Amino acid sequence: MLTAPELLEFLPQTDCGQCGMTCADFAGLLLARDLSPADCPVLHEPEYAGFIEALEELLATAPAAGRGMAIDPARCIGCGICVAMCEHHLAQVPEARAGRGPGLGDRVIFRVVNGQVVVVNQELCVRLLQAAEKCSKCAEHCPTEAITLR
Amino acid sequence: MPGPWESHICPGCACLCDDLDLVEADGGLQAHNVCAWGSAKFLGSKKFHPGQPRRRLTAPFVRRRGRREEVSPEAALAQAAELLARARRPVVFGLTACGSRAQEAALAVARHLRARLEPADLNLMAPYYQALLTAEIHHASLEVLRDEADTVLYWGANPLHSCPRHLTRYTVFARGRFTERGVEDRRLAAVDLHRTELARFCQVFVRVAPGADLELIRAVQGVLSGASRATVTGAVRLAEFLRHGEVGVIFAGRGLAVGAEALARFAALGDLIRVLRPARRFFLLPLASDFNSAGLYHLLLTRLGSPWAPDFGEGDPPVFRSQPVRWEEVDALLVTGADLFWLLPEETRRDLTRRQVPVVAVGPWEDRTVARAAVALPAALEGIEVEEVAYRQDGIPVCLRPVLPPPAPAAHQVLTQLLEISS
Repeated sequence: MLTAPELLEFLPQTDCGQCGMTCADFAGLLLARDLSPADCPVLHEPEYAGFIEALEELLATAPAAGRGMAIDPARCIGCGICVAMCEHHLAQVPEARAGRGPGLGDRVIFRVVNGQVVVVNQELCVRLLQAAEKCSKCAEHCPTEAITLR
Repeated sequence: MPGPWESHICPGCACLCDDLDLVEADGGLQAHNVCAWGSAKFLGSKKFHPGQPRRRLTAPFVRRRGRREEVSPEAALAQAAELLARARRPVVFGLTACGSRAQEAALAVARHLRARLEPADLNLMAPYYQALLTAEIHHASLEVLRDEADTVLYWGANPLHSCPRHLTRYTVFARGRFTERGVEDRRLAAVDLHRTELARFCQVFVRVAPGADLELIRAVQGVLSGASRATVTGAVRLAEFLRHGEVGVIFAGRGLAVGAEALARFAALGDLIRVLRPARRFFLLPLASDFNSAGLYHLLLTRLGSPWAPDFGEGDPPVFRSQPVRWEEVDALLVTGADLFWLLPEETRRDLTRRQVPVVAVGPWEDRTVARAAVALPAALEGIEVEEVAYRQDGIPVCLRPVLPPPAPAAHQVLTQLLEISS
């Protein structure tokens, strides 16, 4: 599966800000097909000739990924750190704030079911609601790296 | 199957998480807020392989000429009683992964058989309780640590493998009364043989060579008390880490229980806590993983007055053994609440098999011990199929409630019947 770090290798990685964001964020949006390689002004410079084509080729080989998070069930141990660290839960689910699991009626982004984290309301994710908000706490704190943000 | 059950207690590990929600789904049980370990118990899958079903022991059997023969419970109990009565040096092993009632029944059986009772984690928990008795270590519940601890050190322990929700519920990520920002209000350190998953959250991670823990503990204590300069790598970093804490806790894991120095290591940790204490509040807790390990030591301490393994071979009151059992002397085994043949080294397993030491196994699963047992008796899952009492790793007793009908009697009933037949 194509990942943002793989795309990042074909970006300038200078974080110049000409596109309005960092190169890592640009790679994430490339992966989500929200931007195209040609949207990077720096890649049009002669120094980076061929990079746009290489990125387009990479993106063409990988299936379009939806935005949000993907959980690798083979890695997840159900520790619930993501549930406790989630920005949405922090504000909306007092149980998760205190380290407890959310109740059955709580409107949460993900919950641990049968020892695995499952995404139940991805549309609530702060990352998807506000473009400027780049929360990635669930993936950053996952001890087994089972969460991939797309 | 009635339900749903909210705030159910999980008998998966010593955290005894009390926030599980159980609902019926697709004719089975769906457990919310349960980690992979607890889920393995609820769903009957293997602990380290969630997709693979774990076989239940469904009927009692006795082994005749190497073949399993299913028999009635009474016949199996009579055979077990006979095998154990014939032995000169019987051992009752395990008991850390079974309820308090089963532990109490097993203690009565050990007393009657004039056997030695050997807890599965003797080398971890007994030295801790001994240190607690002698070093005047203060005690705190996990809730107090969640609310107040700003400094957490895991020594020889990886909670993500032994109690997966430990970090989330109590020590690092949970937001408590005085730790309102959770992980941002806390500092975490770990000492281990290898770099573990914990390292990504740690301010200080020290890799220690096998057998060098005691030297490191003493070096940290020396730096803190100003008595000596550090000669061991990591001692200064750990000392500075601990020095800057106001309320702290050291969780000691199985890494400290390996070898003959376990008691000395816990005594040294007790001394370290004493050095830290005048200006700070520091606690020491063992990171037991079996769900009722603390319950067993509570029983031993309240009934017999010592955390060490009681040996009734020389009569009652028993002699307390601080060294692990010498397997070459054992001539019969009653195993419950642990998978002995999974824990033993290959050489000892072969020796027990070669000498045809009869094993009586009581438990819910088809494990390695059952595979070698001369007699096996099925038991229900405590906290899922039958009611039981268990002690959380900080010593808080909780009542485990059943949610499913039991396919077999509870372990304490089986052991009580065994005692009645033996008497």
